[in-house]
Amino acid sequence: MKQPHRAVTSRRAFLHGGAALAAGVAGSAALTSCADTSYGPARSSGALDLAMWTHDPGYITTFTESAAQLSTTSPFQYDLQVTQSAAGDVMTRFINQAIVGKGTPDLTGIEVGQFNRVMRSDVAGDILIDWTEELEQYGEDLLRKQPYSVDGRVYAIESDTCLSIYWYREDEFAKNGLPTDLDTWEDLLEAGGALHQKTGQSLAMVGTGTPGDTASSLQQWLLQRGGGFFDQDGELILDSPETVETLDWMARGVANGTLINLPDAYGAPLAAALKQGQLIGTFMPNWYNAYGLQANVPDQKGLWRMRVAPRFTGGGHIASSSGGTGFAVTKDKVNTDGAQELLRATYLTREGQLLRYKAAGYLPTIKSLYSDPELLAIEDEYLGGQRVFEVLGEAAEDLPSFYQSPNYAILQSALAGPVQAALRGRTTAARAIADSVESYRKQART
Amino acid sequence: MSTATTPSAPSPTNTHRNDPAGAGTSITASKAPYIFISPFFVLYGLFMIVPIGVGLYLSLTDWAGIGSPTFVGLRNYQWLLTDYSFWTAVGNTAIYVAVSMLIVLPLALLIAQALNARGLRGRDLFRLSYFTPVVLSPIVIALVFTLFYDREFGLFNAFFRGVFGWGGIDWLGDPSWAKLSVVLLVIWKWTGYMTIFFLAGLQNVPRELYEAAALDGSGPIRTFFAVTLPVLRPVTAFVAVTTLVSSAQIFEEPYLLTQGGPGESTLSVAQFIFRAAFERQQMGYAAAAGVIMFVFVFALGRSANKVFGVGSTR
Repeated sequence: MKQPHRAVTSRRAFLHGGAALAAGVAGSAALTSCADTSYGPARSSGALDLAMWTHDPGYITTFTESAAQLSTTSPFQYDLQVTQSAAGDVMTRFINQAIVGKGTPDLTGIEVGQFNRVMRSDVAGDILIDWTEELEQYGEDLLRKQPYSVDGRVYAIESDTCLSIYWYREDEFAKNGLPTDLDTWEDLLEAGGALHQKTGQSLAMVGTGTPGDTASSLQQWLLQRGGGFFDQDGELILDSPETVETLDWMARGVANGTLINLPDAYGAPLAAALKQGQLIGTFMPNWYNAYGLQANVPDQKGLWRMRVAPRFTGGGHIASSSGGTGFAVTKDKVNTDGAQELLRATYLTREGQLLRYKAAGYLPTIKSLYSDPELLAIEDEYLGGQRVFEVLGEAAEDLPSFYQSPNYAILQSALAGPVQAALRGRTTAARAIADSVESYRKQART
Repeated sequence: MSTATTPSAPSPTNTHRNDPAGAGTSITASKAPYIFISPFFVLYGLFMIVPIGVGLYLSLTDWAGIGSPTFVGLRNYQWLLTDYSFWTAVGNTAIYVAVSMLIVLPLALLIAQALNARGLRGRDLFRLSYFTPVVLSPIVIALVFTLFYDREFGLFNAFFRGVFGWGGIDWLGDPSWAKLSVVLLVIWKWTGYMTIFFLAGLQNVPRELYEAAALDGSGPIRTFFAVTLPVLRPVTAFVAVTTLVSSAQIFEEPYLLTQGGPGESTLSVAQFIFRAAFERQQMGYAAAAGVIMFVFVFALGRSANKVFGVGSTR
């Protein structure tokens, strides 16, 4: 009887087949895991896992609360997936992920000093949503669009006006018989010199630890004086009488002790200066209340006050600004519409801006809100119950413009050495600015 | 006589040939060694050769990171050669290399010699102390040293004020002092680490050599130069080449302590590259600087290998 034919599979063939099958499965799994499902046609409703990257915990609180509120009325149900990292790292990783075309966040907080990195070769236009048309309806009422603009197109929405005002220790001013309404920076310099000679205390500070700190210190006073680093076309305007005058004033301030020169304007040296009562005043933005004063000297609650800054006798503005973070939405993603709606609700409505202020202390960027009764009634406990919007509203009326350039980082490093040299009396302000401009032109090849 | 019917010990190849299921595996067998060593070459090619090639290509382009790179030929190299910042960084790096070679190495050897002394108590404690800077987080080191170096409130100036009545050194604000501050940090961080290598080498020097030297009337200094140093030559060569190559690529210390400042007085070449790529989005320019650094460090490493005789049997 003929045996039925049976297919014989050898052990070797079986192993080969098994190996090939395993490789195929593993390969498919690997390819599947490589595929990014976050890009594609935008969703218009439903549950949304929104990836948000930021350097600042304040924004996490703000957007978490806003997303929870918005989920009740919006077609989207938001679930924020937050990644927090240093400002520079957020930008570096964002660009790297954009290069590989996957793993980008839906909503990104771009610290103002990092925005210049997406200004080259229209990187911003390639990866970020353009808000220009939508923001036109707000006109001049929406503050600080320029720092996040490239060729007139706006790619991020500012989180804070970053109004620079003068902070001072009321008790120390009273003890030393210093008037709290000094009209000009020259007056402050005179009073500060006398005070430093008598008590060793200082009335303001300059941070010179990093090129960024040094440039920010100069820029803050320079903007108030009516100068700037770049014009709206991104051309360097540093070489001006205003810059020389400002730096000269700063150098005289450091020389007579009115200004204390700190290597770190936010860290341990600042904390030591504040705690020891060596620094009893400072010219810094509104966010310095939470991140500078309350963070370092919570025990000095009730002793600090704010006022509109003294003016420069040569002219300029009554206020200035420093810092800031713009939030941007990544283009062409499944969550793009949802991210836009969240940002719109949080940053472009009265309710959103009030929530933002209450959650993290960021000032409204809609100018008309400074006369909102709810805001005007706010009293700051750390500042001894002071009605802060009475001061801030006045300052917001005359806020200088700050323009960016793709070469902003180059200018920062070009400024650092010469400005430090001027502040330490090793060179004149005019020479320092000339050296900075020359260094900048060499590095920027312009 | 027929070879076909002669029984013989079957070679693996013959077995495969006679086995229908193993047809074709003779090729596999001949390639097996290559297959076994291929993972290294595949990974080496993927993660070393390809990036180097891409880096070389990028160095000939103008690229901000997104979009298509624009080919610019040798323009980046041309600009680098006339870039004052780049040469400042090269000069600073040369100082760091010189300090590492001329101070860290001898100091490490001396400390190792001291630790190797007979009858020393708590040797492990010393060893731990010297090794600690290497395992500490660079961020912690930077924070602590920023406090030490602070002009107004720093430990160093406080010490000088307390002892000498004067202490106004602007450690991190003055260009010369800032360089010295970074150099001191480099010495503090790496001397202990190098000491461990020298100590390991010293503990392997045969006792008989010292005994013979003592019998010949050799004093401690003569013994050090006639016995210790020659025997330590392979360790010294390894440590020297490693130090040379790693100090030429120094990044952490100046970046965390001064960010290259004030001005560019402490900027290293590695920082220059980082700054161009990740602060200014000048990827092509950074790649060109990277290529120059690679060539320079490679040449330096090869020369050092020859000078110190690394890998030779001499």
